[in-house]
Amino acid sequence: MKNIITAQNIIKKFGVGDEEQVVLRDISLTIQAGEFVAIMGPSGSGKSTLMHALSGMDKVTEGQVTFDGKVLALLKENELADLRRNKMGFIFQQPTLLKNINVLDNIILPAMRDKRKHRSTIIKKAQELMERTGISGLEKRDITQMSGGQLQRAGICRALLSNPKVIFGDEPTGALNSKSAKEIMNIITQINQNGTTVMLVTHDAQVAAKTERILFMRDGQIATEMTLPRYNGQDLHERIDKVTAIMKELGI
Amino acid sequence: MFSRIILNDMLKSKLTTLITTIFIAIAAMLVALSAILMVNLSGAIDTLMREAKTPHFMQMHAGEIDQTRLEAFASSHDYVEDFQINEFLNIEGAKITINGTSLAHSVQDNGVSKQGQTFDYLLDINGKRIDVHDGEIYLPVSYMKEEVAIGDQVIIQNKAFTVQGFLRDSQMNSLLASSKRFLVSDQDYNALQSVGNVEYLIEFRLQQLEQLSTLENDYITAGLEANGPTITYPLFKTLNAISDGLMIALILLVSVLIVVISLLCIRFTLLAKMEEDYREIGVLKAIGLRVADIKKIYIAKYSVITLVGASIGVVLAYMCKDLLLENIKLYMGESENTALAIGLGMVGVGVLCIIIMGYIYLVLGRFKKIAVTEAIQFGTAQEKSISTKHFTLAANKWLPTNVFLGLKDVMTRKRLYFTMLIVLVITTFIMIVPQNLYHTISSKDFTTYMGIGNSDMRIDIQQTAEIKTKANQMVKALANDDDVQAYNVLATKTYYVQQDQQKKRIKVELGDHTLFPVTYAQGNAPKETNEIALSVMNADELNKKVGDKITLIVDDEAKPFVVSGIYSDITNGGKTAKATFTTSSEDMMWYVINVTFKANPALNAKVKEYADQFSYAKVSHIDEYIQQSYGPTIASIEKAAFIAIVVALLIAMLIVFLFIKMLTAKDRYTIAVMKSFGFTNADITKQYMSRALFVAIISVIIGTIAANTLGESIVGAVIGTFGATAFTFTIQPLSAYVLSPLMLICAVLVATIIGASYAGRIKISQYMKE
Repeated sequence: MKNIITAQNIIKKFGVGDEEQVVLRDISLTIQAGEFVAIMGPSGSGKSTLMHALSGMDKVTEGQVTFDGKVLALLKENELADLRRNKMGFIFQQPTLLKNINVLDNIILPAMRDKRKHRSTIIKKAQELMERTGISGLEKRDITQMSGGQLQRAGICRALLSNPKVIFGDEPTGALNSKSAKEIMNIITQINQNGTTVMLVTHDAQVAAKTERILFMRDGQIATEMTLPRYNGQDLHERIDKVTAIMKELGI
Repeated sequence: MFSRIILNDMLKSKLTTLITTIFIAIAAMLVALSAILMVNLSGAIDTLMREAKTPHFMQMHAGEIDQTRLEAFASSHDYVEDFQINEFLNIEGAKITINGTSLAHSVQDNGVSKQGQTFDYLLDINGKRIDVHDGEIYLPVSYMKEEVAIGDQVIIQNKAFTVQGFLRDSQMNSLLASSKRFLVSDQDYNALQSVGNVEYLIEFRLQQLEQLSTLENDYITAGLEANGPTITYPLFKTLNAISDGLMIALILLVSVLIVVISLLCIRFTLLAKMEEDYREIGVLKAIGLRVADIKKIYIAKYSVITLVGASIGVVLAYMCKDLLLENIKLYMGESENTALAIGLGMVGVGVLCIIIMGYIYLVLGRFKKIAVTEAIQFGTAQEKSISTKHFTLAANKWLPTNVFLGLKDVMTRKRLYFTMLIVLVITTFIMIVPQNLYHTISSKDFTTYMGIGNSDMRIDIQQTAEIKTKANQMVKALANDDDVQAYNVLATKTYYVQQDQQKKRIKVELGDHTLFPVTYAQGNAPKETNEIALSVMNADELNKKVGDKITLIVDDEAKPFVVSGIYSDITNGGKTAKATFTTSSEDMMWYVINVTFKANPALNAKVKEYADQFSYAKVSHIDEYIQQSYGPTIASIEKAAFIAIVVALLIAMLIVFLFIKMLTAKDRYTIAVMKSFGFTNADITKQYMSRALFVAIISVIIGTIAANTLGESIVGAVIGTFGATAFTFTIQPLSAYVLSPLMLICAVLVATIIGASYAGRIKISQYMKE
C-alpha cells in the first residue's frame, strides 16, 4: 500500500533558553493509505502535538514530514491551506462550527471557498452526507439550537465534503456522552472502511480498540505500538483488554 | 498591588493604551484651547473697546450737517454721556500709495481720520491712545500682515507721510467693516480735505448701554442727520468677533466630536478587555469578590490614562495657544483675563475628565450582568446573534465566499459594528462639513446670503454731490457698452415706516431686484410697486412676516405695502429693505449698480476702464470684493477644512485599526477554525476588508446625509449669528461625494489590512485544544 504520511526524525520544541521544552523527541513513522490509526498517551505526552505536526497545523523544529508526496516544510502558507482544504479533514473535540451561519452553510463553507461554480453539486453532496450521518432535515438550523452530538456530526460532514485522503480527529468523542460517542465512532469507522485514512488522538481505550494500529506515546516519544485486525463489530471487549493491558504496562 | 496590576495591564496592551491616551489628549487640548481662545477673544475685544471708548451709537452721514442742532440734541438728553462729531475723509484708493503700491484695487473705503477728542480713540499696538504728529501716519493693523513696516512711505495725492506705527480701530478693524481709517494729525487732515469726500461720524456714548434703543428712537424722531449707515455697539462687537469666533466655533465643534470619539474608543477597548477577562471576572465573582472591588481595578487603570492624557492635552494646549492667539492679539490686543482663560481651560479639562470617568463607570455597570456560571464555563459572553435566515451561503449565487462571510458577520453582530459605524459617520461629518463650508463661502453665490447680488462688477456711488446726475452718467455709459449683458441700478433712500403711532426709519433700496437677486430666507423679491422685502433685522424689529402689510411715507403720502420676502443682509448695519416703486425725490443716499458682462471680457480691464472713467465711483470686481472682504476668513476655513480632512482620516485609520485588531483577537478561535479547514490568511483579510468596507459605505452614506442636513443647520446657525439666514451649502460634488468618501474608504481598508495582519499570526494548533 502507498505511504500517505511519513515523518522522519521529527523534533518539536516550544519556548527558548531556560524555558525550552522538547515535546516531540526524534519521532519517525509511516502511515499508509487506508490505515485506521489511534494515538494514545497521558496528558502532555505529545499526542496532539504529533497530530498537529503530521497535518501541517504546526511546524516541526527539526526533521521532515511528507504528506501525500509533499514535504510540508517546503510548502508556502497558501499551499498548506490548499492541502488542508482538499486533502485533509479535521474533527475536533469541541464542535468548531461558526456561530453566524446555519448548519448547511457551515458544512459547505470550505468547499465553497473556491468551488462556487459547483454550488448545487456541493449542496447535494452535503445533504447526502447529512443523511448518512443522521442529521438530515437540520440544514437550516441555527447551530446554537443543536446538541453536541449533532454538531459533531455536522463537523464530520464538513470534513468529508472534499473527499479528503486523511481525516484527523483530536479527541472527537471527548466531549460527548457515551451514546453519542458510540454513534460518532461508528460513523468514523465506516469512513475508514470506505477507504479514507483516519488518524485519531484519544484517551479512550474503547475508541482506540476500534482502530487497527495504536501508537502509545510517553514523554514525546512513541513508546510502543500495537496492531489489531480490522474491527468487524465483534470481540470489542477483548480488543479493549489488549489496549488497557499495554496502557497499564506503560503506566498510562 | 494596584499599581502593579495597572502597569502590567498597560504594558500588555501598549497600543490600545497609547491610542486611548492620544484621543483623550487631543480632546483635552481642544477643549482647553477653545476655552482659552474664547476667554481671550472676548477679553481682548472688551479691553480694546473699553480703552478705545468705542461709541455706543454712530450715525454716518454724508452731506450738509447742522452741528449746533446735534449738540443741542445731545445736551438735552440726560442719558447721553458724551457726544462728538468725528470726520472720515474718504479718499479714492488710486490716490493712496503705500511703498509705491497703489490701493486702486482695494474694495475697502479707505480714508484718513483725526484722533477722537474725548472717545473713539485709535490705539497703537500697545493699546495706548495714539498721539500723532505732522507728517506721520498710522495704518490699520491689517497692513502689518502685508509687510508694511514702520518708516515706510505713504503718499496721499502727492503728500508724503512716514508710517509711524499701526493702529487698532475698535470700529473698523474687521475686514467685514467696509471702511478703513488711517490716522493723521489734525493739521495734515485739514490739508488733505480737498482730496476726498468728508463723511461725518456722529458719535454718542451713553450712561448705560441699555439706553441704546431709546437713543435710536429719539434720534429718528428728532429727524437728525442720517445719510449713511447707523452702527451700534453690539454690532461693532459682532464685527470684531466674527473671524476668530468662527475659528473657535469650528474648534469647539471638532472638540465635541473628538470627545465623542474618545468615549466610543474607551467603551470599545473596555468592553474588549472585559471580554478578555471574562473568565477571570467570573472566577473573582465566584470566590466572593464584590463587583465594586473588581471595578476598582478598571477604574484605577482608566484614571491613570485619563489623567495622563488630560495633562498632555493641557500642555499641548498651552504650547499651541500662542499660535492661535496671534491673530486675536494682533487685531484686538492682549486680554486682561489670561489667568481666567487658563483657569477656565483647566475647568473645561476637569469637566472632560469627569465625563470620561463617569462614562467608564457606566460601562462598567455591565459587570453586574456577568453570570458566574456562564463566564466559567464558556469563558466568553454568549453573544446573542440576530439571525439573518435568508442570507445563506447555500443560496448565495453572486458574492465571493469571503465577501459573503464578511457581510454576514456584520449583519449578525450589528451591535459590535455599531461603534465603528458611529466613528466613521462622525469622521465623514468632520471631513465634509468644513469643506462644504469652505466651498459655500468661497462661491460667488455666498454674497447673496450677505445681501449682495451676484454679478461680475459692482459699482458704488456715494457721498458725492449731484449723485443722481452721476448715476445717470454711469447708466448711459453702461447702456452704450456692447460688452455689458445686464445691469441694474439700485438707489437707496430713507423712508419712514408708520407703525403703532410711531415713526421708524428704514433704508429702502429701489430698483429691479429680480435681476441680481439676493437669497431670500422667506418669500421672494418684490415685483409689484406695492411690494417690499425686508432684511431679517428689520423684519424682526418691525415684527413683520411675509404677506403682512406695512405703511411707508412716500413723497409725504402714506402708502400701503405688502411684505413679499425676507432676506439676510450684513451690509449697512443689516437694516435694509427692497422695493420697486419710483420716486420723484432727488436726494438718494447712495447708488449700487450691478453689472454682468457677455462671455469672457477681460474683467480686470473692464473694472479698470470704469474706475478710470468715473473716479467718483467705487468700481469693484465682485471676486476681488469677496477676496478682500472674506479672503482671510475663507483662507482660514480652507486651512481648517484641510486639517479636518487629515485629522478625520487619521482618526478613522486609528479607530478602525484598533477595532479590527481587537476583533481578530476576539475572533481568534473562529479564525483558527477557518484556517484549519483551509482558509488562507489572504482569505481572512478579505473577510475583514469586506466587513470594514460594508460598514464604511453605510457610514459614508449616513455621514454625508448628516453633514448636509444637521451639518448645514449647525453651520447655518453659526452664520446666522451674524445676520445671514436661509443658509444652504454649495457643494462641490466631486470633492464631497467622490474624493472624500474614496479617501475615507481607502484609509479604512489600509487600517483593516494592518489590523487584520494579526490574524496571520494566529496558530491553528494554539486554539484547537480549547
